[in-house]
Amino acid sequence: MTRLLDARNLRAAYRTQDGRLVRAVDDVSVHVDEGEVLGVAGESGCGKSTLGAILSLNVRSPLQVESGTLDIEGKRQDFGASAKIPRTWRGSVVSLLPQGAMNSISPTMRVRDLCFDVVRAHDRRARRSDALDRVRDRIADLGLPPRVLDAYPHQLSGGMKQRVVTVISTLLNPRLLIADEPTSALDVSSQRALIEMLKEMLEQKIMAGVIFVTHDLPVLRTVSDRIAVMYAGKIVEVADAGDLVDRPRHPYSAALLSSVLVPEPRYRTMRVKGIPGAPPNLLDPPPGCRFHPRCGLAMPQCHTDEPPTDGTELRYSACHWSAQHPGESVPVEAATRDELDGGEPLDRAGEPVALAGDGTGVGR
Amino acid sequence: MQFARYLLRRTLWLLVTFVAAMVLVFLLIRLVPGNPVDAIVAQMTRGGGGSGEQVRAIYDNYMREFGLDLPLWQQFLVFCQNVLQGDFGTSFAQYPAPVTAMIGQALPWSIAIQLPAIVVGWLVGNVVGAVAAFRGGWFDKGAFLTSIFATSVPYYCLAIILLFVVAVRMQILPAGGGYSFGLSPELTLTFFGDAITYFWLPFWSLVIVFIGGQAVGMRSMAIYELGSDYVNYARGLGIGDNRITRYIFRNAMLPQLSGLALSIGGMIGGALITELVFNYPGLGTLLFTAISSNDYPVIQAIVLLITIAVLLANFLVDVVNGLIDPRIRAAETGDR
Repeated sequence: MTRLLDARNLRAAYRTQDGRLVRAVDDVSVHVDEGEVLGVAGESGCGKSTLGAILSLNVRSPLQVESGTLDIEGKRQDFGASAKIPRTWRGSVVSLLPQGAMNSISPTMRVRDLCFDVVRAHDRRARRSDALDRVRDRIADLGLPPRVLDAYPHQLSGGMKQRVVTVISTLLNPRLLIADEPTSALDVSSQRALIEMLKEMLEQKIMAGVIFVTHDLPVLRTVSDRIAVMYAGKIVEVADAGDLVDRPRHPYSAALLSSVLVPEPRYRTMRVKGIPGAPPNLLDPPPGCRFHPRCGLAMPQCHTDEPPTDGTELRYSACHWSAQHPGESVPVEAATRDELDGGEPLDRAGEPVALAGDGTGVGR
Repeated sequence: MQFARYLLRRTLWLLVTFVAAMVLVFLLIRLVPGNPVDAIVAQMTRGGGGSGEQVRAIYDNYMREFGLDLPLWQQFLVFCQNVLQGDFGTSFAQYPAPVTAMIGQALPWSIAIQLPAIVVGWLVGNVVGAVAAFRGGWFDKGAFLTSIFATSVPYYCLAIILLFVVAVRMQILPAGGGYSFGLSPELTLTFFGDAITYFWLPFWSLVIVFIGGQAVGMRSMAIYELGSDYVNYARGLGIGDNRITRYIFRNAMLPQLSGLALSIGGMIGGALITELVFNYPGLGTLLFTAISSNDYPVIQAIVLLITIAVLLANFLVDVVNGLIDPRIRAAETGDR
C-alpha cells in the first residue's frame, strides 16, 4: 500500500490576547495510506479540529504552526514561521469538508457560481460551460438532483447542503479530504447518506484518502479503517477501527468508549459512564501523562514522566500502563475513576462529571 | 416570475404609503390654526385702505383662488389633482410666485451639491471600510480612528471650521452664495467656472462626514463577514483573496445600499444647515425662509417632495435588495 500522507511532529498553538500560547496540537504524527479512512476522535478541545485545520493547510491567526513536516505523495512541505504553502494546494491536493456546512456557501450566491469559482481558482483559463458540465456529471454520478446547482444555499435542506458541500470539496479530485465533523449537525438518516456518499467517492477514486474528524465514535467505527484517539493535544492511541473499539489499550480510549452508546457486544451490557473531571487547560497541561488526573489506572510515574509509546506505527498506545502490559487491552471498568481525588491539579476540578464525547452516540 | 411577484408587491406598498403621505401632508397643513387668507388680507389692508365691502370681495376672491370655500373632501381631491399635475399653488410670502417655479430654481443647487457628495462619500467610505477590515493592522487602526472622528464631528461644525479657515483666513475660496454677483444661472463655461469655486466648501463639509460614517459601517459589516464560515471554506478550497473579498463585499453591502438610497432620498430636503452656513441657494435655504415666514404652500410642497423622494428611495432599496439577496425575495413571496 502506498503512503498518501505523512505528517510528522506537528506542533501548533493559538496565541491568546495576552501573548500566551495554547498548544492545541503538540508533537502529533499521523499518516494515511492510499484508499484509507483515518478517523480522529476525542472530546471537545482535544485539538482534533486544529489538527484538521493544519492538515487542510487552512491555518489562520491566532493559530500558528510552530513546526512539523508534511509529505503528500512525495511532495514535501515544511511548516514553520516562514512556510509558504502554495494556495492552489488547497482544494486540489488537500481539501476541507467543513463542520457546519450550513453557512459554508455565501448566502447570496448560487451553488453553480461557487463551483465555477473553485474550478477557476485552480485553472485560470477554465471556461464556465466546461466547468459546469463537469460539475453536472459529478452530481449525476453521486445521485444528487441536478437542480441543486441552480439553488441558493437557503433553498437546500441541511443534509442536502452537506452533500452539496461534499461535492464541491471534492470537485478537483483532491488527494486527501479532511472531513471536520461533517455529520455532527445532521440527523441519523442524513448522516448515513453522507457516509455512503463518501464511501462511493473513495471507491470511484475521486479522492485517495480521508481524514475523518469527529467526536462521534459510532460513526467513526462505521467509516474509518484506522482510528487515532486524541487527548489534550496529543495522540494517545492508534489502532484499526475494530481493534480500537474491541481492545482499547489506552485508558482514555476505554473511558471514551464507555461514555457513549456503542452497539458492540462488549459495551452493550455496560452502563454509560462518564469521565470525571474536564479536559486540562492547554495553557498549562498537567505534567507527566496528561490524562493522569482523570485516569483510574494512574501510577506514581504517570504524575511525573511522559508516557512511552508502546507498539508499532500502526498500532500504539502512549501509556505507562500499556507499556507494562504489552498487548493487553485496558479493563474498561477500571479505566475511569468513580471520583476525583481531592487536591488534584486538575483544571476546574470539582465540577460535575462531564460526559466525554459531547454527542452521545446515535444508535446506528 | 418570482421576482415579478416581488416587484408587484413592492409597487402596491409604494402606492399605499404614497396615498397615506398625501393625506397626512394635506391634513397637517390644515390643522395649523388660522387661515392663510386671513394673513394675506390682513397684510394687504394694513395701511387701512378699503371698505368692509372691498375687503370682503378680496377675501372671497382669495378663498376661491386657494379653493378654501369647498368642503374638505373636495379640497383634498383638488389638492391631489394639482399635485399630480405638478402644481403646488402660489407662495404667500412671495405672492404671486408659483411654488413649482421656486422649487425648480432651488432644487438643482441642492442636487448639484449633495448627489456628488453622497456618491463620492459612499464609494470612498465603503472601499476604505472594506480594505481596513481586510488588511487589519495599522491601516485599519488609522482609517478607523479617522473615520470615527470624521463622522462624530457635527457637520455644521465642520462647515463653519472650513468656512473660517479656507474662506475667511486663507481667502482661497468664496465664503458664501452659489455664484458671483452680476452673473445669472445659465449653461455657460464662465458661469460653471464661477459656480464651482462656491461649490467646493459645502461639498467637502458634507463629503468628509459622509465618508466617515460609511467607512465605520462598512468596516464592522466586513469584519463580521470575514469571520463567517463561507470565507473559511472558500479559503480552504484555494479560492483567491480577491474573489473572497468580492463575496464579502456583496454580503456586507446589503445594509450599506439601503443607507445610500435613503441618503439620496433625504437629499431632496437639502442639507439645511450646510446650505445656511454657506448661504447656498438650495432647497434647505428655501425651506428655512418659508418656515420663518409661515409660507405654507412652500413648506407643504417641500415636505411632500421629501416624502416622495424617501418613498421612492425605499422602493429602490427594496428592488435592489431583492435583486442581490435571494433570501429577501423568498421571504417576501412566501416561497422557500
